[in-house]
Amino acid sequence: MKARGPRLSFLMRNPGLFMILLAAVLIASAFAAIMIGSLGPIGPGDPERISFGDAFDAIIGHDDDLPEYYASVFWDVRIPRILLAGLVGAALACAGTAMQAVFRNPMADPFIVGVSSGAAVGAASAGLIGLTVAVGAFTAPVLAFAFALVTVLVVYRMGSVGGRIHVDTLLLSGVAVASFLGAVVSFLIYFAREDYHQLIPWLLGSMAVARWSYVWILILPVAIGCFVVFMYGRELNALLLGEETAHNLGANPESLKRVMLTVAALLAAGAVAFTGIIGFVGLIVPHMMRMVVGANHRVLVPAATLFGASFLIWADAISRTIIPAQELPVGIITALCGGPFFLYLLHRSKAGRVVG
Amino acid sequence: MNSDGKNSLMVWLSVAVVVSSVMAFAGGYMVGAMASSNDAGVLLVDDYGRTIKLSATPERIVSVAPTPTEILFAVGAGDLVVGVDDYSDYPAETANLTKVGSYTLNTEVIVGLQPDLIISSDLVPLSQLELLEDQGIPFVILATRTLDDVMKDIRLVGILTGHVDDAVALAEDLEERVDAITAKTLAEGVVMPRVYVEYYPYWTYGPGSFGDDLIALAGGINIAGNTSSEYPMVTSEFVIAQDPEVIVYTFGYMTSTTADEIASRPGWDTITAVSTDRIYSVDDNLVSRYGPRIVDGLEQLAEMLHPELFE
Repeated sequence: MKARGPRLSFLMRNPGLFMILLAAVLIASAFAAIMIGSLGPIGPGDPERISFGDAFDAIIGHDDDLPEYYASVFWDVRIPRILLAGLVGAALACAGTAMQAVFRNPMADPFIVGVSSGAAVGAASAGLIGLTVAVGAFTAPVLAFAFALVTVLVVYRMGSVGGRIHVDTLLLSGVAVASFLGAVVSFLIYFAREDYHQLIPWLLGSMAVARWSYVWILILPVAIGCFVVFMYGRELNALLLGEETAHNLGANPESLKRVMLTVAALLAAGAVAFTGIIGFVGLIVPHMMRMVVGANHRVLVPAATLFGASFLIWADAISRTIIPAQELPVGIITALCGGPFFLYLLHRSKAGRVVG
Repeated sequence: MNSDGKNSLMVWLSVAVVVSSVMAFAGGYMVGAMASSNDAGVLLVDDYGRTIKLSATPERIVSVAPTPTEILFAVGAGDLVVGVDDYSDYPAETANLTKVGSYTLNTEVIVGLQPDLIISSDLVPLSQLELLEDQGIPFVILATRTLDDVMKDIRLVGILTGHVDDAVALAEDLEERVDAITAKTLAEGVVMPRVYVEYYPYWTYGPGSFGDDLIALAGGINIAGNTSSEYPMVTSEFVIAQDPEVIVYTFGYMTSTTADEIASRPGWDTITAVSTDRIYSVDDNLVSRYGPRIVDGLEQLAEMLHPELFE
């Protein structure tokens, strides 16, 4: 890594402090996001703007004079939505970090082994047969999750020869399967016709579907998954030096790759199952953090996880307020904000060495 | 175009204008449809401002959208229709007609039907229609946005197919029914409820859309009437905060929402329409197809919004 400003190198030398800072940013972001919305002290003020005091009273149930729906908006709609955004952002950023290390490829993201394209087929078929609502709020997530895992298994089979995983082959089979499934999704959308725009928010990622049950389902798997990736930080560091070196350093590259691919795929599949394919978070958040804290995965994994959560909470806050009253798929915001910011960072870190 | 053609066109146009004004076409539209017909043929300006000149009354018509199909049959010109798009399923006679695709048209099938006219809505890509025009098959576009447009389109199709009397009678009958509704719903002193209509979960009708027009005529206030697009996807918290007194969802092809699903959405239990059990459904085809049946949709909507006026 090139020498950089005194502040950044200070953070690099004090990773513990940086983690505390990121955690504080995450908590502050979550609380700020609660105040942002069509009903709230910050936002478009449509249909009405309420004061910080009223918002606070509505949240803690302090004031009985406030309309009943104030509490509904905060507790039933906005707070689960913010928590879901945080969980999905953390899962995607953590999975992306793991995938980039396993593939030793800066272009790797959580979806590289076919998670998103598989999930899209699942969600599109749920929409096509009109099951989404008839059977319940869990039809599309369950189908998306199942299809994502089946796809990952197929890609994984294609990418392993004689029980060993060849990352190059895995990468290529991931790309091939993804384009094949992309065609299947296009086919399904074409026949969904009138129904297709219902699928668009899912294909671009949206938190509009958030509900408490989704949060409860995701919270433990995401926490465990991110913790597992964190515990393998040292091994991931060794893997970056090459599989032979990793082996010589005492790591078992085969089992490491297997565990990391499984955990990352599960994290990514769990995230997209509920909210759809949110791009860029899993690709750029690891890169952003790597530019700040370096490539030590003991630090990078928790940094990316925490920052991914904050990043998606803010992206979602923008997506639900930038056009008053209307939903804008959050994937559009992550791409619009994330892309240029990432290019800026890339330009600043001129060396362009974003991996290793 | 040579000057000779231009002159005769001007004559045609003047005739068209006179005829149309005599027939009391929906006034106030700068770019509206105008038409005239006689033994020598038909001349008209469609909703895109395109001038279409036919040498004779069409005998073989292909309709590539459900709305023109329903209008053609309603004015008694159903026997002229030789092909329809995949979504045209009303009236029942359409089941026996050749299907010609939908948004993507099957050009070969259409050419094979040897039609002398294609009638389309503005949802079909223009490039495909122009391709067929190059094959010598003219097309007319109906771009319907309001209930007045529907009446205008019915008369236009009547003139186009030589069923003027039927069309005028139908349009007048429909206008009477609309007037009968609005006489009640828009009367002085009627309290207008706040209404949320969704055609897919969270997708609703914004300003300038047909649904917005229908809600207003049915005597309701569209909660999404001030949003920034014609067909917005609204946030859940917006609907909760607007607190609609009536919720209407559409049912039909591939829309599977239920009243229970709507009532069970997080936080929606505080909405007045949910707590007072005023969640209604309407057949999607009655509010999304801008043909004669739209008045059925309006009648149903008005009764949902104002049960006290229609006892």
